[in-house]
Amino acid sequence: MARLIRTEKEVEGRYTEQWIVVDEDVLEQWPAGPLETVGRPVPRADGGQRARGEARYTADIKLPGMLHAAILRSPHAKARVRRIDTGRARRAPGVRAVLGPETGPLTDEPPYEGAPVAAVAAETSEQARTAVSLIEVEWERLEPLLDPEEAVRRNELIDEPNREERGEVERGLAESDAVVEAEYRTQTVLHNSMETHQAICEWDGDDRLTVYISTQFIWGVREEVAKRFGLPEDHVRVVCRFMGGGFGSKNGPGDYTYVAAELARATGRPVKCALTRREENLDSGNRNSTIQRLRVGARSDGTLTFLDGEFVNATGWDGWLASTGGPMRLLYACENVRTVEYGAKLNTPPMAAFRAPGFVEGTFGLECLLDELAAKLEIDPLELRRRNHSTHDAVDERPFSSKQLLECYRRAEPHWERRDEVRARSDATWKRGVGLASQVWYGGGGPPSYAWVRIGGDGRAAVITGMQDIGTGSATAMAQIAAEELGLPVDRIEVALGDSARGPYATISAGSSTIPSMGPAVRAAAADAARQLIEIAAQRYDREERVLSLKNGQIVSSDGGSWPLEEITGLLESGQILGKGSRGPNPTGMRVLTFGVQVAEVAVDVETGEVVVEKIVAIHDVGRVINPLGASSQVEGGIIQGLGHTLSEERLLDPSTGGNLTQTLDAYKIPTIADVPEIVTDLVDVPDEHLTNLGSKGLGEPPIIPTAAAIANAIRDATGADVRSLPITREEMLRALREASRQPAREEVGA
Amino acid sequence: MEVFTPRSLAEALRLKAEQPSAVPIEGGTDVMVELNFDRARPEALLNLNEVAELRGWSRDNGLLRLGASLTYTEAMAAPLSEQLPALAEASRTVGSPQIRNRGTLGGNLGTASPAGDALPPLLVEAAEVELSSVRGVRTLALEDFLVGPKRNALEADELITAVLVQPSGARQTFMKVGPRNAMVIAVCSLAVSVDQERCELRAAYGSAGPVTGLVTAPLDEVDSFPERVAEAASPIDDVRGSARYRRHALRVLAERGLQRCLT
Repeated sequence: MARLIRTEKEVEGRYTEQWIVVDEDVLEQWPAGPLETVGRPVPRADGGQRARGEARYTADIKLPGMLHAAILRSPHAKARVRRIDTGRARRAPGVRAVLGPETGPLTDEPPYEGAPVAAVAAETSEQARTAVSLIEVEWERLEPLLDPEEAVRRNELIDEPNREERGEVERGLAESDAVVEAEYRTQTVLHNSMETHQAICEWDGDDRLTVYISTQFIWGVREEVAKRFGLPEDHVRVVCRFMGGGFGSKNGPGDYTYVAAELARATGRPVKCALTRREENLDSGNRNSTIQRLRVGARSDGTLTFLDGEFVNATGWDGWLASTGGPMRLLYACENVRTVEYGAKLNTPPMAAFRAPGFVEGTFGLECLLDELAAKLEIDPLELRRRNHSTHDAVDERPFSSKQLLECYRRAEPHWERRDEVRARSDATWKRGVGLASQVWYGGGGPPSYAWVRIGGDGRAAVITGMQDIGTGSATAMAQIAAEELGLPVDRIEVALGDSARGPYATISAGSSTIPSMGPAVRAAAADAARQLIEIAAQRYDREERVLSLKNGQIVSSDGGSWPLEEITGLLESGQILGKGSRGPNPTGMRVLTFGVQVAEVAVDVETGEVVVEKIVAIHDVGRVINPLGASSQVEGGIIQGLGHTLSEERLLDPSTGGNLTQTLDAYKIPTIADVPEIVTDLVDVPDEHLTNLGSKGLGEPPIIPTAAAIANAIRDATGADVRSLPITREEMLRALREASRQPAREEVGA
Repeated sequence: MEVFTPRSLAEALRLKAEQPSAVPIEGGTDVMVELNFDRARPEALLNLNEVAELRGWSRDNGLLRLGASLTYTEAMAAPLSEQLPALAEASRTVGSPQIRNRGTLGGNLGTASPAGDALPPLLVEAAEVELSSVRGVRTLALEDFLVGPKRNALEADELITAVLVQPSGARQTFMKVGPRNAMVIAVCSLAVSVDQERCELRAAYGSAGPVTGLVTAPLDEVDSFPERVAEAASPIDDVRGSARYRRHALRVLAERGLQRCLT
């Protein structure tokens, strides 16, 4: 019987309550450890296709008669259109339609550089861009607000400040033997997905719309597009077969989709609106910069007495208040914790979720602060973290559904113990050191998500669901889960996804949630199909159901008999076995979180300020690991992306005009392969016994979270300098070294 | 935009004389960036890829003649790399393997960017630039050829045909500071040589002034030389780094370069 329940859903650390329907039969979790397919390394099903350039991304799709859109974007951080003349653009070669600021989402009062003002559809993208350059605008430039601290003073905020407090910080302060106070800053970081934001819109009549889009959430796009154009949701079809990265910036449709849809409606032809790399770096979202004023107190034995943080997020014109204070509230056992988070509303492009939004920034501050405290207390940084390990979520007193952080710490020990050896390799120029940082994040996923499993006469199975694989290999993981349940080799499983018209509702691929949300539904669907196979096999081979099982493509009886699966499915000729499954609720009254620790080894050239990260060991607890090969790729990707914002990436704005100075990949430095250190991945592969029929948590975000702090702490170990501002450019490194040399050594402070 | 593809140097020079606004293109690692970013829309391109006379390098009585089409990859290979070791080091720091296969010395000189990686090692080696036109051939000292940021002494009808170097045999090196390990335009760079025979210290900096600049001193002024190099530069603040950092880095690079060349 279907059961209606009310449950809590979390995405990117934001909770909402919702009703869901769950099936009654709950599967037992599989035993821990590698199984037949699950838990074993499986190469990506579509890896070859991607490597050979055969995978068709949204960027590759060319529909018959398709036009190309280009957008006129505001060159000013704050301005008003006094007069606009699109006449020359309309008459330019190839142009089929021009939209002015009167059509949403275009605007004549752009509130940040890059805001869309007008748009053109033409036969080629070059013609469209040329036409855009012919639009004449008379601008009235207005004074932009660019300074986040000034915005907070003026109460120009994106939302009410988020104040959270437990215990009493003043009491904790009174009980402290040592207090450390510091200000940390993190920069604005750009996602730079390889595939830029883009969509193709094609109308079928005036009430049906197909959207091909590079997205992390086809159902979210369907819902928002349907709402905007007043269509029934089933009249909007959203397709995303292959996807070139999103990192949180592609959770919704975005202005470009609406521009494409409006131009398609105006011309009666399909229209593609694809951002250029410059537009991508102007207005496709960003990890907003932060200023963090933090304090921590502890007793001499290292017990934390209080944590206190004020976080200013430079949110931009739109977006939401990322949870920069989250790590401070969640990571350690501490009775007295107070955080206040501000989101400054500025004339800068809106932020968007970016791989563990808020937690990446907040962990840099918190975990550097902890190391500064450890130095003051003369306690080993790893030991300090152990002493403040939390056994339950102190925010609302809930037990964790699982937590293997102490095991992560235990596995970190051999790497941490290399400190003396690494430091000893220092010379007059190159100083070497080791640092570590812990990590907490969400990643439990949640309902609803659905999957179907279809088994044909040939004994092959298809998993059908409306989820998207955003490049993380989640389709391969789904094939493994279905293969395990059906006792089939993984190469006999097809995964059909990425089309809202060809599968049931599935999760957003954000918040490290695809595997924990989708995997259990796929397993349930496969189990439903497996049950039916066993039932018909029992009838066909005259056995009791309880003695039959599925293994290696065979129906196996405990009395020794076995029959190939296709023998029985073949009987059905064109008949099919159909299974369906849904994602059940998260464990009631528990907090589902992911944990981990990273250990970094660095070398610092104290004369030029060059920082070389030589090695990073990543030890994470994400519950059961479905595909260790895919998982280590995720960890490596997270660390490399983390390395970028730690050392070289920064969106620079002209401080007077608010103009973006780093729109190209020449000016905005993401790491190259020559910057990548040795990366060692070690996943504590213990299923979360309370979480779903899989026990798997998400892994997309955790690996990027502690990287910056681990590197900064290694730099402190190597040089004695406190780096409190990202990115740690050579200049920043030299500044920190100069500051360290001006201050008396720590030993003298203690004496 | 028209593209001319001459098959010989004579044809190239004739075309350049007839179409002085035609922009010469070899590997396209600079020109195509300008075109793609819409910073330049020349009426015509003069594609020099088919001009055999510009390719490779030769030696005549000890004088090296490096064709304008010499690629960075070719500059990295022995035996040329043994004759001009700092140029080989600089070439290794250019872009990616693909860029090094396409980018040429002639292009680097033609662009005359203060960040041009080949320029400091060539300045330290007192290279000359051979300029040709239908009117004839002239040579200019590289210092005189570089007249400003992205400006050189080429006349409108002239093409760079070669770089001429008498290898000094001096110990020399090239160092570059960039915001990451590969695919970077220098924050600043420095070539250094210690010429025991002529009793001279030579250094040339890149990305630290409007043009690549040469600094020389007698051999016995080793101690003050790094400071002199730093003072000679006139760097600016930009997205890649501050003037203050560039001066500091030049001092450090000069110290290290001297150390390498003296031990």
